[in-house]
Amino acid sequence: MSNDTESKGVKRRDFLKVLGTAGAAVTTVGCSSEKVGKLIPYLVHPDQTVSGVSTFYTSTCRECSASCGIIAETRDGRTTKLEGNPEHPLNKGALCARGQSALQGLYNPDRLRGPMLKENGAWKAIPWDAALTLVSQKLGEAKSRGSAANAVFLNQHETGTFPSFLDAWLAGFGMRPHLSVDFEADSAVIEANRRSYGVSWPKLSFSDAKLIISFGADFLETWGLSVPQQLDFADARAKIEGAPRFVYIGPRRSLTGLNADQWIACKPGSELAIANALAGKGSLADAAAQSGVAVATLTRLQQELASAKPVLALAGSSTSDALDLALAVASINQANGAVGTTIRPAEPLTAFDGAARFSDVVAAVERMRAGQVPIAFVRGVNPAYNIPASGRFADAFAKVPFKVSFSMYPDETTELCDLILPDLHSLESWGDAEAAKGVMSLQQPAMDPVFAGTRATADVLIQLAQKDPASAAKYAQKDYRTWLIGRFPGGMSAFTAALQKGVAAGSTAARTSPAAPDAFKWPAPIAQTQGEYFLVTYHSPVLGDGRGANKPWLLELPDPVTKVLWSSWVEIHPETANAHGIERGDIVEVKTASGTVKVPAYLYLGIRPDTIALAIGQGHTSVAKLSEHGGKNDKVPTQWGYGRYARNLGVRAHDLLLSGTNAAGALALTTTKASLTKTADHDTLVSTEGSARQHGRGISQAIPLATLLAGAKGGDARTAAEVKVEGKGSEAAHEAHVPGEASHAFLPGLRSPVAADAQGQLGAPTSADHGKDKGMYAPTHWSGMASRRWAMTVDLARCTGCSACVTACYAENNIPTVGASWQNATVYAVAKPGFNITRGREMNWLRLERYFEGADEGQFTEDFEARFVPMLCQHCGNAPCEPVCPVYATYHAPDGLNVQVYNRCVGTRYCSNNCPYKVRYFNWFGYGEEDRKQYAFPEPLDWQLNPDVTVRGKGVMEKCTMCVQRIREAETRARSEGRELVPDEFTVACAQACPSRAITFGDAADPKWTVSSLVDDRRAYHVFEELNTYTAVVYLKKVIHASPVGA
Amino acid sequence: MATMAKPRPEHLIGSNIATAGNRLPGIKDYEQVDRDIIATLQPTLGWFAMLGVAILCLLIGASTWVYQIYEGLGSAGYQPPVMWGVYIVTFVFWVGIGHAGTLISAILYLFRAGFRTTIYRASEAMTVFAVMTAGLFPILHLGRPWKFFWLIPYPNWRLIWPNPKSPLVWDVFAILTYLTVSATFFWIGLIPDLAVLRDQEKNATRKRIFAVLSLGWRNSDNEWRHFTRAYLFLAAFATPLVLSVHSVVSFDFAMSLVPGWHATIFPPYFVAGAIFSGIGMVFTIIIPLRKFFKLEHYVTINDLDAAAKLCLFTSCVVGLAYLTEFQVAWMSGNKMEQEYFWNRVFGQWTWAAWIMLICNMVLPLSLFSQKLRRNTKWLFMLSIFINIGMWFERFVIVIPSLSHEFEPWQWGGYHPTWVDYNILLGSFGWFFMWFLLFIRQMPVMAISEIKEILPPKMRRAHVEAHHAAHGTLGHPLPADGGTH
Repeated sequence: MSNDTESKGVKRRDFLKVLGTAGAAVTTVGCSSEKVGKLIPYLVHPDQTVSGVSTFYTSTCRECSASCGIIAETRDGRTTKLEGNPEHPLNKGALCARGQSALQGLYNPDRLRGPMLKENGAWKAIPWDAALTLVSQKLGEAKSRGSAANAVFLNQHETGTFPSFLDAWLAGFGMRPHLSVDFEADSAVIEANRRSYGVSWPKLSFSDAKLIISFGADFLETWGLSVPQQLDFADARAKIEGAPRFVYIGPRRSLTGLNADQWIACKPGSELAIANALAGKGSLADAAAQSGVAVATLTRLQQELASAKPVLALAGSSTSDALDLALAVASINQANGAVGTTIRPAEPLTAFDGAARFSDVVAAVERMRAGQVPIAFVRGVNPAYNIPASGRFADAFAKVPFKVSFSMYPDETTELCDLILPDLHSLESWGDAEAAKGVMSLQQPAMDPVFAGTRATADVLIQLAQKDPASAAKYAQKDYRTWLIGRFPGGMSAFTAALQKGVAAGSTAARTSPAAPDAFKWPAPIAQTQGEYFLVTYHSPVLGDGRGANKPWLLELPDPVTKVLWSSWVEIHPETANAHGIERGDIVEVKTASGTVKVPAYLYLGIRPDTIALAIGQGHTSVAKLSEHGGKNDKVPTQWGYGRYARNLGVRAHDLLLSGTNAAGALALTTTKASLTKTADHDTLVSTEGSARQHGRGISQAIPLATLLAGAKGGDARTAAEVKVEGKGSEAAHEAHVPGEASHAFLPGLRSPVAADAQGQLGAPTSADHGKDKGMYAPTHWSGMASRRWAMTVDLARCTGCSACVTACYAENNIPTVGASWQNATVYAVAKPGFNITRGREMNWLRLERYFEGADEGQFTEDFEARFVPMLCQHCGNAPCEPVCPVYATYHAPDGLNVQVYNRCVGTRYCSNNCPYKVRYFNWFGYGEEDRKQYAFPEPLDWQLNPDVTVRGKGVMEKCTMCVQRIREAETRARSEGRELVPDEFTVACAQACPSRAITFGDAADPKWTVSSLVDDRRAYHVFEELNTYTAVVYLKKVIHASPVGA
Repeated sequence: MATMAKPRPEHLIGSNIATAGNRLPGIKDYEQVDRDIIATLQPTLGWFAMLGVAILCLLIGASTWVYQIYEGLGSAGYQPPVMWGVYIVTFVFWVGIGHAGTLISAILYLFRAGFRTTIYRASEAMTVFAVMTAGLFPILHLGRPWKFFWLIPYPNWRLIWPNPKSPLVWDVFAILTYLTVSATFFWIGLIPDLAVLRDQEKNATRKRIFAVLSLGWRNSDNEWRHFTRAYLFLAAFATPLVLSVHSVVSFDFAMSLVPGWHATIFPPYFVAGAIFSGIGMVFTIIIPLRKFFKLEHYVTINDLDAAAKLCLFTSCVVGLAYLTEFQVAWMSGNKMEQEYFWNRVFGQWTWAAWIMLICNMVLPLSLFSQKLRRNTKWLFMLSIFINIGMWFERFVIVIPSLSHEFEPWQWGGYHPTWVDYNILLGSFGWFFMWFLLFIRQMPVMAISEIKEILPPKMRRAHVEAHHAAHGTLGHPLPADGGTH
């Protein structure tokens, strides 16, 4: 009561309380739109883990059969980036787009989370124990009924220890050996290799060849081992003088075909006639008549073949007579000095050893259809998708009483199974592969399993064996890792040591080659099938046989040839299209004896007018009705039909294929004609292609070899302006302005550190008045960065357009994919995959432009050229984007980088308007905000995000940073070690991945870096040099190898 | 003249040149002026209906903007490389509209163009509201509009300032300056009329507001002397701004590298275009206004005729600029420039380019005919065409250029969405809401200036002599046949 007098009004204490509370509330609620997160450092570090410091694990890529070596960068227990393992004999540090996208398989939001059992057609989750007991019981039943020998195990094709482990396990239960299935493997070539060279796959040496002839062998894509082949091919082409000429024979110019110097467009199925004629087993005139190729062309090729030894001839056309073709091609090789030089059976690659043929799979399916198969296991393959519809896999599979899937993903085959025991991803599990004869490539987990409910199949097999009294004794090991190490020569210590490099000497037991397939006669040659056009189907270079279709990086990676993405397309020559009144994007109906698909048309110069082509890889379907969903991942039902990203995506080329196998037991992909009907529908084709012509603007330049050699080495005194005047605008003149010599007018600007570059003085730093006008930064800038000029060269003689760099950039820089059907605005209400991309909103900081030269559209000609050019931020010394930004969100760093400050950006987009290279990308939506439907990284895809790179917010501009995080990391490392940067100590993500080694990054101001000498190259040029942008990206002209004979 | 052979109708004879003085034969005395003009301030049902429509449009636009801020700018129809779209087009459009008012009130004032007297108040209001509308668009089009104030130089502890090299920063200054000066000029001109309103007002609150706004105007000679001096000063001050603002806006384009933008002709071209579009909008507003308010005897056919000549002249200047652009591209020897112009007129953007050329260059040529100049229906229709044409002029400048730049691989198209259209609609709602509110609160014509040109009934000869003797600035003479 004594306080009564004080209680009038607000007491000081209360006032402060209210003030404090209100202040805190305002601070908490009012200031930030972002969620408050917690950062709790480790109290006790897990072994070998330091927060924020990456650990690098060697492993083996399992995305195709090649088994390249990879290094997985793991930070705080999460793998964030895959790169090639430089120690690995196959890929020597490079990695293709598919290999890099393994991460999105690992973190795929649609991965199966735990065992599931189908009961009365409905799936329900069950515990592992129950699942294993069930399998055990079914195995026991089969064994006791004596039908176990008919069980089928379809495993993805692997080399290494696991196949023999699996066969031993199967034998323990009385089952026959598994089928090692790779739907992409070219059985005809493998069979021919065996017969001709005695090995399944000899080492190919492109560098030793004088002439490369490919009969539809897409060795830069899915034929053989693409990365090692590409490395070697690029090295061969980079020799410039003495580089092999490359002739591609086939009805369609694939990516490999576009890299050829000459395309011989033969009718599908006529490759054999040409090969035979070249081998001297037939007349050229007959071959010409059969193939629709001019006799003169073949004659010239024959003459060239006679003069250019050694040759490297490759067969790859997947026709009904593919085996004969491969054998004929082998005889060309044998006759032209290839064996031992360009083809080296003594150094065999083992990637395809033990691979089952398609006919083996068909035989197993037929056993299922006959009701003989009591139990079927499927791991890592999707026969329900990859067997043509006419093969009626689902009917046969349904006759199997108990079907177990080890799939990681909800695919077509898994949906037909009864029990799912989800496998671990290869980045979570142990294993090995035999990369080449005598070289073991080790596979180790880079992180703990993403989903605790998944188990490695090998471990599951051990657990099942331990439940079986007969097998238990043989499987004393607690898991497959112990089993693997136990068999490793030298044991644990040798194994641990080998893991450091990822490869070790060693070999697995030779696998028995499958018995020769039953003699098979293809019912009718392609020319006699129904339809007006030959139909060529091929494995997508990006999605492979369809297994890539659940990974948004791959779906967002434009097809290297057509630049179509998030959609299927049928390639039609403009001449044919004109005849039908078909325009780009018109929906056409393609019909064969087996089925019909409706697909948008893409008008392509590189296909015969009597041929149409369709890529394999899309058109995944599901039996279950699917619910729509957004980017959020909470409680989404199982995304049947190969995950949310593959949904409603394109058409399945297999619907059109005839089932049946050729003489090598392979599924022939080019076996039927098809009819083509235009429908009334039209849809904007999802493509990143603007104009496919350069309009003489010299973006991707080329120089004929003769011109290059004729030019004298040395400086060119003329200025860019003089050259420009001489160029007169026409492309030929523009490119030929200095025979064999670039102007190099840009060099002083590029060589100088930024302190003296285009922002200030343009002369060499040594010039007399240097120092008077220091430019933006003094050479003594406090950062110490002003002595550097980060720069890049792109050698177009090497670049094949494969686009691995693009995916590397996505992976390194947290670039959102924007093409999923739900990622557009609510306002459009269009659930079309790739809709954002039809609006040009793809975010590819690095894109691969593909221009055509020659071949005026409308008339068919073999004589046109494709030019690939990776286009990224050019980090101009005199950048047009910088002065126009009203808030300095983009500015020039002392080391020459053109820097984008996301936090400062208000989003006027003026910088993009003023960028001549159009390499700036805008965040139209909140791709990085998890509550939005446009969210690009639904959990756990967001685990992949590079912690060194900001995830950009809505409404800001972004672009290539030249991997500034890597630059700063290297600088910091050097500083902490008290040293200077070592030249070529590090590189950027695109250069690191590039399987043709076309990209070189470094400090152009320091002569010790490789890039510094490359900018001096005779072929060097800048894109749009006339704009005085003083770019830091220097391109080296492509070299045109004209035919030495005739022409 | 060829027409001399025919007898000409009486009302066509007389002052018909832009610099002539003005006569209002239909007005009898000062009281009628007060009566007629103040009568326009009475709200009517039609006015409420129109205001309702305007506010509805505004609400549609505003809610769409909220949606766009939430969802992201991607909900609008941007299609990279077209990074600027309908918003920038509409921004330039409204800035252009905002030019005619100051031109009419300031420049024509300095040039003593008598026909301005009756139309300048509405034009000035149009200017202020158009600039207010235009000012929204640079914010609307930002990726992060909530950070717009980063473009304004304000002291901050990070010591980060806007980039003085960026034309967008110049824009901020130009637009804000123009808005300030034109609003001030508008208000200063209103002061004598505000005093009239104050004196007539019965409602105490409104009276108080008018009293404050009129700055205690007492109609004394001294006040008039100061007023005319201030008005003259502001007119002279505003005149260069008419030229500078749109020049600065044109720098947004001209200072860039983009083919089709990078042109020295842009500043005069934009200023002429702005005046042209502004006069178009004046017709769109004044012609219905004089009809609904029955002010035909104030805004006479002679006034419209004179304004139409100005319109014709600016149309010719704009047309010349269009042709000059083609000529410059042709003679530049720059392939990229040439291909861009070819694509603009005969390629991808043919339709937009020809809407522009026909509406702005061809149709206004009809104003060479005196009959059509004096036909209010035609003038009104033409003004709509001019509005459309001038919007498309900016469309043709902004979008085709961006869609067809240096890098052929990145050539593209552009399709606006309903978000763009709603916000465009909203901008008209915003503009007309202010304008409709204005015409019921303030006199749409300058009462005092109209009175100046009326001969006082009692002392007609005397007053005329007085004016002639003093030649006071800002007092257009009620001259006979424009002789002074």
